[in-house]
Amino acid sequence: MTDALRRFDLAIIIPAIALVSAGILILSTTGDPGQTGLDHKAVQQGVFVAIGLAAALVMAFLDYRLLNAVALPAFIGGTILVAAVVVFGDANLGAQRWFVVGPIVIQPSEIMKLAAIVFLARYLARRGEGVRSIRTLLLSLLIMLVPAALVFIQPDLGSALVFVAIWLAMVFVAGARWWHALIPAGMALAAFPFAWFFAQDYMRERFVAFLDPSSDPLGAGYNVLQARISIGSGGWWGQGIGQGTQSQLEFLRVRDTDFIFAVLGEQLGFVGALGVILFFTILLAQAVIISIRARDDFGRYLAIGIAGMLFFQSFVNIGMNVGLMPVTGITLPLLSFGRNSLVVTLAAIGILLSINAHRTAAPHRQQGVWWVSSVRRMAARPESPPRP
Amino acid sequence: MAVNGDQTGQTAPGAPGTKSDGGASANRKLRRGLILGGAVLAANSALAGRLWQLQVVETETYQEQAARNRLRTEPVRPVRGIVFDRNREPLVRNLPEFGVWVTPADVPKSREGSIIASLAALTGERPDDLRFKLSQARYDPGRPVQVAGDVQRDSALAIEERRHDLPGVQVRSGIRRQYLHGDAFGHMLGFVGPVPAESLEEYQALGVGFDETVGLAGLERQFQGALRGTDGSRKVEIDALGRELNEIESEAPVEGRHLVLTVSVREQRAIREILARHLALRDAGAGVAVVIRPEDGSVVALASLPDYDNNAFGAGGDPSVLTRLVTDPRRPLINHAVAGLYPPGSSYKVIAASAALETGIVLPQTKIRCDGQLVLPTGWAFNDWLPTGHGMVDLHRGISESCNIYFYNISGGNPYTNLTGFGNRRLVEFERAFGFGEASGIDLPGEAAGLVPTAEWKQGNLGQPWVTGDTYHAAIGQGLVQVTPLQIAMMYSAIGNGGRLLRPRLVDRIVDTQGNVLQRLPVSERGQLPVSEGHLRLLRNALLEAVNGRNGTGKYARSEFAVVAGKTGTAEYSGTRDSHGKLPSHAWFAGYAPAENPEYAFAVLVRDGGEGAFAAAPIARDIIDYLMTGEMPPLPQDRPDFIPPTRRLS
Repeated sequence: MTDALRRFDLAIIIPAIALVSAGILILSTTGDPGQTGLDHKAVQQGVFVAIGLAAALVMAFLDYRLLNAVALPAFIGGTILVAAVVVFGDANLGAQRWFVVGPIVIQPSEIMKLAAIVFLARYLARRGEGVRSIRTLLLSLLIMLVPAALVFIQPDLGSALVFVAIWLAMVFVAGARWWHALIPAGMALAAFPFAWFFAQDYMRERFVAFLDPSSDPLGAGYNVLQARISIGSGGWWGQGIGQGTQSQLEFLRVRDTDFIFAVLGEQLGFVGALGVILFFTILLAQAVIISIRARDDFGRYLAIGIAGMLFFQSFVNIGMNVGLMPVTGITLPLLSFGRNSLVVTLAAIGILLSINAHRTAAPHRQQGVWWVSSVRRMAARPESPPRP
Repeated sequence: MAVNGDQTGQTAPGAPGTKSDGGASANRKLRRGLILGGAVLAANSALAGRLWQLQVVETETYQEQAARNRLRTEPVRPVRGIVFDRNREPLVRNLPEFGVWVTPADVPKSREGSIIASLAALTGERPDDLRFKLSQARYDPGRPVQVAGDVQRDSALAIEERRHDLPGVQVRSGIRRQYLHGDAFGHMLGFVGPVPAESLEEYQALGVGFDETVGLAGLERQFQGALRGTDGSRKVEIDALGRELNEIESEAPVEGRHLVLTVSVREQRAIREILARHLALRDAGAGVAVVIRPEDGSVVALASLPDYDNNAFGAGGDPSVLTRLVTDPRRPLINHAVAGLYPPGSSYKVIAASAALETGIVLPQTKIRCDGQLVLPTGWAFNDWLPTGHGMVDLHRGISESCNIYFYNISGGNPYTNLTGFGNRRLVEFERAFGFGEASGIDLPGEAAGLVPTAEWKQGNLGQPWVTGDTYHAAIGQGLVQVTPLQIAMMYSAIGNGGRLLRPRLVDRIVDTQGNVLQRLPVSERGQLPVSEGHLRLLRNALLEAVNGRNGTGKYARSEFAVVAGKTGTAEYSGTRDSHGKLPSHAWFAGYAPAENPEYAFAVLVRDGGEGAFAAAPIARDIIDYLMTGEMPPLPQDRPDFIPPTRRLS
């Protein structure tokens, strides 16, 4: 009974429900007036929220440790799918990112994110302290670079970066040495000129536009500028639901996905936009707490991987909307219109609930507030060899 | 640290293969987890801070920018004014047409090339022209500009249909000028066209858009400002594709002013027709007829042939017509009435006559001997047109029979008698006082000033000293003298009205759309002829005699319907001599009618027409006949006294 209750960790569930609801609310104002019924994106989003919630429930009630068993097949299968989409997928907007199977659209890179987290969590948990060796670290990096490279050539720079971000979060918590972090950083620096050379034109344009959005206000810089205007014109309380000239008169583009936060900022203002950030912060903080309190390293790394994924995507997307980050095509988890990503994200949240539910009796039950005890434990400096 | 140990221990079962090194590893994981949590908090705080900056601190800036996105202020072009004749009959009409407009701010740079290519294909404009206009427009990118006018209805519809492919492009209705009396008023009205690239800045200083059509010639040019009116403006709400949603506010433009001219359609057309009939009898005939009202200087008719149909300059004009106009050696595009420069010939003699009388060089009755030739001691011979000579000639006969020798004597003097002549310096004063050497000030662009030759001018421009022969030539309107037909007409108008030299008036008044008179162009006097009343009477009698006397040179100008006074002119110019050894000459006739109380003053010029008496005088007669009766005279060749153009005064 207590397990069942613990699964319903409100610090996870309330923000998640609030964020998907906000997404549906905003999507209800951005569609074409001609769209009705299932054609309407808000309705479609609702359907996928329902599917995602079902997936989350299943995940929450399963023991996350069962994922150990599927980690390798899921990773290999996912990699094959991602590779296949590069070769066979439907071209859309110059990129091949998904399959269409009847009415179902499958975007392997979304599924792959979760599969990679599970596999890497398993790998790191098995290696234990081995992550402190350079060999293990590089092998773990290789695990993530395989899917990252495959999505990069789709081309989907944003998703590729998500894999790298997830890896960083997970090896960091697993205990990789600080100075080892210099190795991938140095590699990235060395790779930059080559990346620039091989990058798609749109990537370069976006990078330049990020540095100076007014360089071509109607070209690459257009969306960035319009997003900033949308958010800025929202003011304290916003223009109101379904109001706001930036989104309603379509000066702002890609309102359903990349720039949904800007629409929200225009319609709901500072209060609404800050609310979104707050809910993400609560959700992420709780994910980190779940990681810290996890029963085992596999759960710990799984939770931190999910947190890293959610954090990186939400931060980069909102950062792009407010002009702090370049345009990378990363959508806002839980809010942006998306079929696969929504289901995968909600499933990942279900996994968080499962990790939370299967933790052992937490120390705070005996010692009061958990983080007080945690800080106390750190203060005790257990690294020093125990005195005889 | 039992708790740590417990926790690490508890981790082990769930993670197969986990190697525990005790509390150190667990604490590191805890610490790093907390660091990550802290990073999340810090990063999201940064986002929140940025939100505060955008939505609270700088919100007004962005609200303004959003409004600028949403609202577009665009000029409302006034409708160009109409030009009416004296009887308020319109000479030009504004026809509706489709124009293609582009708002540069809504054209993505990356698609500019393809949009220009599509527009060029749909409108028939040259891509380079479109590119130029668009590049100009980018200085004020929010403002829509017209890039093509007079677009076919089908093309306009096609552009509307392809709107999604053509962001920033709009089809709007505009106007096109249609001139109702093409040829007859071509020179007078001129035409409109796109702003010439070289005077772009000039026009922009006047608030004229580079995409507008402006007056480029004639009254359209001279009264560009009044005809154009003043822009209004409208503020509209638009969507991201530039589609107009609704109008927020608007200010109506001040519509273009209308001009009411002093000419009438009927008279202008008839007088042009009379001139054309006479010119039609010769090869490549070219000529000018100017008719003025002496009382106030109003223009009655102003014809310069060959002329052109100014509709040819509008959109859809035939390019071959334009080529012909540009290459015709008679230069039809120039209004020769105001911009053509010719030696005036004997019609100029009244100036020398006035100078002689006013300076007292001769008395009216002083007789001078004409042997048909005056040979100077230097050996230069100066001929009269009548080789046998006129005998003893006084002022009256000098003018009426147009004796050259008489005018040589009074102007440059005669080395064989003690007559000294008044000299060129004096002559120049009189020429200027009669209105020569400066533009008369008609309401048309491009009027020529002409040339009153002086010793300084000749030395400066030709590098030669002034000689007596130059004075002789100037006195009879030959040699270096250059005048416009309009200047001659204004001089005879002044003689006819008692000595008042007036500014010619072509525009009577400027009115607004309701017909209220905004400005009446004044009758203005440029000066008074420096001739006493008695002497003026002498001149007028001589001019009367020149037409009506037995030996008058202008007898072919006699009209049944009014007494005509006037003077012929045959102005030789350097060219190939004909079979009789004569130089080619322009034929003039200038005067006024009725002689006693003139209603009309006129100047007629037939370029390369030969004798003024035969080529120009009959035209003047037909014009006076018409003006007096209101009916077209018979064709010149149907008259019993018809003189074929080949005949010469022997």
